[in-house]
Amino acid sequence: MRSPACGEGAASGLAGMRRDEVYAQLAKVSDPELDQALTELGFIGGVELDGATVTVRFRLPTFWCAANFAFMMAADIRDRVGELPWVERVDVRLQDHFFEDEINSGINGGKTFVETFPQLATGDLDELRETFRGKAFLARQERLLRRLLALGWSEDAILALRVGDLLGLPLASEDLALAERYLAIRRERGLGGDVDRPAFVRPDGRPMEPAAFKVDLAHAQRTRLSVEFNAAFCRGMLETRYGERTANAPESPDEVARRRDTRRCAE
Amino acid sequence: MFKTDGGDELFIIDGHLHLWDASPDNQLNKYGAGFIGCFYDYHRNLSPAEYVWDTSVFQKYGPERMVKDVFVDGYVDMGIFQPTYLKDFYRNGFNTTEQNSVLRKEHPDRFILNGSWDPRDGEAGLDYLQSLAEHYGIRGVKLYTAEWKGNSRGWKLTDPWALRYLEKCQQLGVKNIHVHKGPTIWPLDKDAFEVHDIDEVATSFLDLNFIVEHCGLPRLEDFCWIATQEKNVYGGLAVVMPFIHSRPRYFAEVMANLLWWVGPDKLLFASDYAIWHPRWIVDKFMAFELPDDVQKEFGVSLGLDVKRKILGENAARLYGIDIDVQRKEHARDAISRMR
Repeated sequence: MRSPACGEGAASGLAGMRRDEVYAQLAKVSDPELDQALTELGFIGGVELDGATVTVRFRLPTFWCAANFAFMMAADIRDRVGELPWVERVDVRLQDHFFEDEINSGINGGKTFVETFPQLATGDLDELRETFRGKAFLARQERLLRRLLALGWSEDAILALRVGDLLGLPLASEDLALAERYLAIRRERGLGGDVDRPAFVRPDGRPMEPAAFKVDLAHAQRTRLSVEFNAAFCRGMLETRYGERTANAPESPDEVARRRDTRRCAE
Repeated sequence: MFKTDGGDELFIIDGHLHLWDASPDNQLNKYGAGFIGCFYDYHRNLSPAEYVWDTSVFQKYGPERMVKDVFVDGYVDMGIFQPTYLKDFYRNGFNTTEQNSVLRKEHPDRFILNGSWDPRDGEAGLDYLQSLAEHYGIRGVKLYTAEWKGNSRGWKLTDPWALRYLEKCQQLGVKNIHVHKGPTIWPLDKDAFEVHDIDEVATSFLDLNFIVEHCGLPRLEDFCWIATQEKNVYGGLAVVMPFIHSRPRYFAEVMANLLWWVGPDKLLFASDYAIWHPRWIVDKFMAFELPDDVQKEFGVSLGLDVKRKILGENAARLYGIDIDVQRKEHARDAISRMR
């Protein structure tokens, strides 16, 4: 409970609330290759608030991480944080990257990818993004299918499931989370989320069929494995590169101030 | 040579060795610093703690240390020098054929010397390729499609000039085309790990072998698909193998996929020395078994005969090495006396 007598505490309470809002928006930004949130991956190096201006520092596992994916993430950071009604300006700062100057000035100047890299890029990034959303769909589906198979479900029983059945299955919460993530990307891709539709469809929306089930699953397995292998590598590289900062990011100046204010209020 | 407890002897060819100079004196710019910094993070991230070096040693370790690590301590009988020129990042280059040839001259039966080319060098580069073949008798090249040159940030195997170089390789008998498939920067709006250009040239150049270094990871699914279609596409296991230590489950799943799709005759062991030391990789690989569930799902095995192929026989076939003849040569050379 905030004490009304503690003015500073109230101000930093607002800052704290706004910071939480920023992080909630950042949690919606994913690495397109890894299909994981930047906040989970440790890619966010810090957030600073200065009135209506938000500075987001972000960093990647290597100096050479692909510039196109870095640009996509930077653009998503700018756009998601910019959705907050009180935010007037977002300053995205990619750090320790071979194209950091180009990407930062492009993103903060509101330029597109092609405008940022006129010599090197031949088109914008929509197609690439779409390719990786397709892979994310397959990987999320495969994790759920494999889990059901491991729990003893037969192929026939799995293929008889409807969308409306999935969240009512007697599953542990982490397995239900797999189902939720699968359904979310299925809706996002417009693959018929009505409750009476077959629960498992191919990337083009046609129902999975018994004859092709094993082949489809093996294909999805390779996609999922690539994504996970990559994610494991990236996480390891980030930890190696930034040491403990990944697990325990440094406090920004106003985090320190907030902690001090809270303590003072409590006294 | 690796000897099993049962007395089996495995002849080992390391498909990917470097002798680089990335010391600050040789770095030209922040990219040179960034390049070796990234390698060092690979090294630190995936090596067992007792194999992690200091930065300064990692930047420049020198020929004596290399010979000891690879051939004396590391079980390796022969190794393939894969050059990486990077002349836009390093004053004298990072690791060139000419530099590698010095150590090869000292140990001619231990090193296979590969060259490199860059289609952006045009006619002059074709002449250089011919001189590499005539002077050093190279049988293979390492291509690095992400290398920068002036304003260009990379190239593709299907570029018209690249096709001319591949034709030249065919004429010169340079049969083994190792292609680095890792982070590429150009064209920026495409997937950086695209392996489809391999597919196209492998079909057009049937008497060349295309060894995809790092198996196209992290695009394993695309690589498996291509390697299944094309008889002359191989997988180089550099970067894949070190996962055996920190991520054995992923390593098992990746190997099972590669064995099923690419096959035991088309995978080549590589340490990527000095990023990783071959000793611990060979030790762990020899001790490794696929978990039962993986073996059952894929119906593949990683037994002694498969390990023998991956660790040496497959590379020997590609490079025309007679293992029995080499063993006799090696018994008399300087390195065998150091062991």
